[in-house]
Amino acid sequence: MQELEVRGKLRDWIAKHAKKPLTAEFGDETPVLELGILSSLDVVEFVLFIEDLRGGDVDADDIGPDAFTNINTLYSAFFARS
Amino acid sequence: MQPQSRSLRSGFLRSLERFPERPALQLANEILSYRQLFARASRLASTLSRHAAAAEPALTGVFAHRSVTAYAAVLAGLLRGHGYVPFNPNFPTDRTRSMLVRSDCRSVIVDAHGARQLAEVLAGAGNGLLLLLPEQDDVTALAAHWPQHRFLGARDLLDAGPPARAEIDPGGIAYLLFTSGSTGQPKGVMVAHRNVTHFVDAMVERYAVTEHDRFSQTFDLTFDLSAFDMFVAWERGACLCCPTQSQKLFPGRYIADCGITIWFSVPSTAVLMGRLHMLKPGKYPGLRYSLFCGEALPVEVMRTWGAAAPNSILENLYGPTELTIACTLYRWDPARSPGESEQGVVPIGEAYPGMRILVTDERQEEVAIGEVGELLMTGPQLTPGYYRDPGRTAAAFVTPPGHGEVYYRTGDRVRRPRPGQPLVYLGRVDNQIKIQGYRVELGEIEAILRQEAGVEVAVAIGWPVTASGADGIVGFLGTEAADTEAIRRRVISRLPPYMHPSEIRLVGEWPLNANGKIDRKALRATLSVDNRTQR
Repeated sequence: MQELEVRGKLRDWIAKHAKKPLTAEFGDETPVLELGILSSLDVVEFVLFIEDLRGGDVDADDIGPDAFTNINTLYSAFFARS
Repeated sequence: MQPQSRSLRSGFLRSLERFPERPALQLANEILSYRQLFARASRLASTLSRHAAAAEPALTGVFAHRSVTAYAAVLAGLLRGHGYVPFNPNFPTDRTRSMLVRSDCRSVIVDAHGARQLAEVLAGAGNGLLLLLPEQDDVTALAAHWPQHRFLGARDLLDAGPPARAEIDPGGIAYLLFTSGSTGQPKGVMVAHRNVTHFVDAMVERYAVTEHDRFSQTFDLTFDLSAFDMFVAWERGACLCCPTQSQKLFPGRYIADCGITIWFSVPSTAVLMGRLHMLKPGKYPGLRYSLFCGEALPVEVMRTWGAAAPNSILENLYGPTELTIACTLYRWDPARSPGESEQGVVPIGEAYPGMRILVTDERQEEVAIGEVGELLMTGPQLTPGYYRDPGRTAAAFVTPPGHGEVYYRTGDRVRRPRPGQPLVYLGRVDNQIKIQGYRVELGEIEAILRQEAGVEVAVAIGWPVTASGADGIVGFLGTEAADTEAIRRRVISRLPPYMHPSEIRLVGEWPLNANGKIDRKALRATLSVDNRTQR
């Protein structure tokens, strides 16, 4: 899967699950946790989604606030290195 | 110095003398020593006491959430000789207003979270409140908008006074907590100082708490289990580590980063962590104790948590707010416990020191050993009842025939244990429903659903609802994908016809109530919204 496609899917997932409507400025650097867009249950679902997308388990040590800051950090934590 | 009668603040004040420079509270990047936290609390307390009306109920409201102000405010209430009343900025404002009005508390400390909701809560909340917003410099706009209340801000804060010395009645309210009532009207549970100090004493001794311990705080102040974390930690000079919003999302990282030694959460948190691969073997060697309370604890959670926290003792705590935080406990033993568990749920064990158990039938007569009945308890943790609500107090706090003292009816079903055996939780009395006239324990169906589907959490709901109970059962499984028809066939083969689920649904994301427990009402609501599917 191409990088743009992955980023697009991550973005779609966040838009679908966001607790508040995303503004037009929502981008790959928008802080998703800080804005309270996702809840703790969302994180579980999101991790399962990411695992589906990359076709394998993610390392629990990578599941932290740093990786889940925004789409850029998500991409580099779970997709850029394999 | 004259020895004072024990109250909920005593432990903190003693730790303030013994360990003034040790951390009492860690929150985000801020660490407050006992001396610093006391100073914050003391300023709030003296400011309120200076401005408060002479005749107010001895209750101080805390409208704050996971902030230094929240914890300083709890202590400030206690320093004033008051009980504290927590209000939660994450609750619907209607509910908060109703709690505020019913509590009749006149002084409320508000942090930035609470301030954002203040206008909505105050609309229709009566007159004459004294509102202290220590994080806000300028409160003139608020004061102009709400002339019927008085506002104090950061500029009005007085200096800290010396530790409080006034005597406190051990039977007075230490905290007033609202729990959801079945009628929809929240009930205010009065918990007395002597109730909590008895509980705290039992806990610090059992867990040999020292000033080096670091306690989790997964619970909001409106959930009484939060009082365990605060007051057991502060009794012995330990540190309370309150997670930030993002730390709460990643509990595994929070345990490691904060060096938690005593973990306490609802079992659902552990289930979530398992799904996030956060319970790998050996992951949390620093945990000394892992405590769970608030819901039925699945055996499977103990296995995975025990492996992840190899140096930790695992305990299941049980108790309603009315019996002060927790009143029975059970220590998990990997060899013995699976055999003592029933329906895949860990036993709730034995009564706390001084607490006594009665297992009764509908007439509150004790059932025979081995029989199932409602759990009643009494002892030093028995709270005085519901605030200004003698009717509901009398219904729940009863004197069983032939007994000379008041017991609290928990509404929970247990088996009366043989000597030496642990108590086993079998579900709510009101989870026992009539289906086509048969008495059905939903917990039994849930246990079989869990086993046959291989999931940790399953819920059975009586549906569709009828005047006498329900016509059938719908099962919910906590998983994204499963062959529901195959599972249903296996479940059916193990249950009598009237207990057969007519349908099994998958739930990726459980609806949770404000305290993080599975919200059965919300599940039932999904059934009433959807058109009934056939089968």
